Amino acid sequence: MKLYAQHGYGEAEKINQGLQKGIISGAVYSAKDITPDRLNNRLSEIAASSPSAARIFDPQYYVSLIGSDPNIRLGKLEEYPYFSIRRRSQLESNQLIADELRKVIKFQISLPVTAIISPNILISRSFDSVEAVIAKNFIRQAKGIYEQFSDNRPLYVTLAVSREALIDFTELEAFLNDVTLLNSPPDGFYLLVGARSIEARTDLYHADVIANWMLLNYSLKINGYQIINGYSDLISPFLGAVGGDIGCTGWWSNLRIFSMDRFAPEATGGRLPVQRYLSTKLLNRITFYELGALRRIIPNVANELSMDEKYEGEPERSIEVLQSWEALSSLLATITASDDSSKNLEKCAEAIKSAEDLYTSIKARYRLDPKSDDTHLEPLQEGMNQFKKRAEI
Amino acid sequence: MSLEPPKAEEIKATFPQFQEVYFLNKGGFKAVYKIVVNGKPEAFKIVYIPEVSGVEPEVNKEIKKESLGRIAREIKILNDCKCPEIVKLGTIQPTVVVLNRREYVAYSEEFIDGNTLREFIRQSMKPAEENLRSLFLSLLKAIRELWSLNVIHRDIKPDNVMKLSRKDRSYVLLDLGIAFSIVDTPLTFDASNRLPPGTYRYLAPEMLQPGFRESLDFRSDMYAAALTVYEYAAGQHPLAKSKEDLIATLSRIVRESPKSLREYRDDLSPFLIGTIDQMLKKIPALRPSNINMLIGKLEENS
Repeated sequence: MKLYAQHGYGEAEKINQGLQKGIISGAVYSAKDITPDRLNNRLSEIAASSPSAARIFDPQYYVSLIGSDPNIRLGKLEEYPYFSIRRRSQLESNQLIADELRKVIKFQISLPVTAIISPNILISRSFDSVEAVIAKNFIRQAKGIYEQFSDNRPLYVTLAVSREALIDFTELEAFLNDVTLLNSPPDGFYLLVGARSIEARTDLYHADVIANWMLLNYSLKINGYQIINGYSDLISPFLGAVGGDIGCTGWWSNLRIFSMDRFAPEATGGRLPVQRYLSTKLLNRITFYELGALRRIIPNVANELSMDEKYEGEPERSIEVLQSWEALSSLLATITASDDSSKNLEKCAEAIKSAEDLYTSIKARYRLDPKSDDTHLEPLQEGMNQFKKRAEI
Repeated sequence: MSLEPPKAEEIKATFPQFQEVYFLNKGGFKAVYKIVVNGKPEAFKIVYIPEVSGVEPEVNKEIKKESLGRIAREIKILNDCKCPEIVKLGTIQPTVVVLNRREYVAYSEEFIDGNTLREFIRQSMKPAEENLRSLFLSLLKAIRELWSLNVIHRDIKPDNVMKLSRKDRSYVLLDLGIAFSIVDTPLTFDASNRLPPGTYRYLAPEMLQPGFRESLDFRSDMYAAALTVYEYAAGQHPLAKSKEDLIATLSRIVRESPKSLREYRDDLSPFLIGTIDQMLKKIPALRPSNINMLIGKLEENS
């Protein structure tokens, strides 16, 4: 599995540096945080400086249905020619869906992207809903519309689903049976799993969510699709283990968890979060000062990767995401190396077991911040077990 | 109720244009004869339209309508199919015929000189990987052809696959008698009170769910094709056991994961074993649905 940068506000040199260091293989740009002109320039610059890097654009069409909320923060999204606020009832028309697909695809055709992402809405409540029917129509029509442009770049269709919808296995099964049998199949899926808020980490670190997210990757891969997992952050290795091709993460917490919260008004007066260090051995991030303290008593908490030296004291903020990318890439290389899912799942199990052992050692000697603790391990383990049962592995 | 098939002489007496008639086999309400007509052999099939005792005349009328509808559908599909992996129609057009005071529908198919896979399985043959790939490829091509006509075979099993001694046509799929069309009017009378038609040991798990017709697709045939290849390779069905009752078999189909083909044939390639195992998953979305990709891979490695 490869890792892409999930772009957002405050890019600066982060993506350039990540690409130059070879710790990311591409970037997914977000319409909200970049103007159309600037987007075009940035994609061209990356094409020139890192020709092999994947350059992808998330049109963020899924915001259309909540765009009429007076408190919504659309950012630069309003400047994009394809963007309009829509009501769900309007999208019950297949013709309008075709028109929307055409507009979004046409816009991307003119960009120096390496793949096209077709738009979709968010399935917010259930796979057995009007939203899901609309989403399936977006998926079904995408390739046909794209073929009208005679473009030969791969087409990925967006499948955005809330954790509430994803959690129901029976409905997911029926939905998967439908979307794996398309008359005009795209090349792949751009998969987004939404939490209720960017702070609700437990929304995604939930056994059913992890199991079914893995199942989505596994099923789509078996059926010949490429899969880009947006905002998958530290769940990426588990998705890559069962077929996911790409994982994505960014520099703010809202680029590590997909949530429509990203378009809500920002809380004012908050402090910048403490810089964190992604420990491949804990499968989690800890604060830089926790790392400093632990290094003295349990040295193997560190990854032994090149960015570790930047964490001797308080690291610069721009370093944090580079360290995350480096660590996550290393984890992906270890866990997702085989084409055999069973072997990768064994690696996942080993990683969880090692993390549990390491946490046990830490607990005896140091008290971690709640965000740094081991509460993620149980849902990862249980999610993996449930996945194996559902996938009959 | 089983059919006592008419004797070959009776057939010859009714169809004097047949130069030769030999009884071949029977199954359910069908009997098959080898005939020679215009100097060429053909398979002559007669299908008995049963009268069910103890039911209202209206019910019998519906059952007869269903049976005739199935024959008409089978003939239409065979007529539309062009690929060599599916049996072809013969020269005798469907006709209603009375033999021994019983009414049959009779028609002919090409005569295929070979044996069914069932016969090879009974002989405890251990087919080589090359043969298994060839069988798998033939079944996938047949399923692809049927799906292009919006049809699902629904009865792929070793008994309905003939092995030929020809290199250009190694395996042929027979018997579209219970084929399902996703675009035509349903034929099954009183469907909600009946188990799905087919041979229970080869039913895909989703066919045992209520309302399965609504979402049925070619992946059910892929499942049955994988079962057929598995059974031919291993010499035994992965889920059904002999002398086990129907409910136990159906329960295994729905709940139990089959043993990997590797358990019986560790000499086969990981690709073939992996693909067969994957196509036996309970959830259709977990079976590879890209037939062209699978055919390409099998042809690449043949």
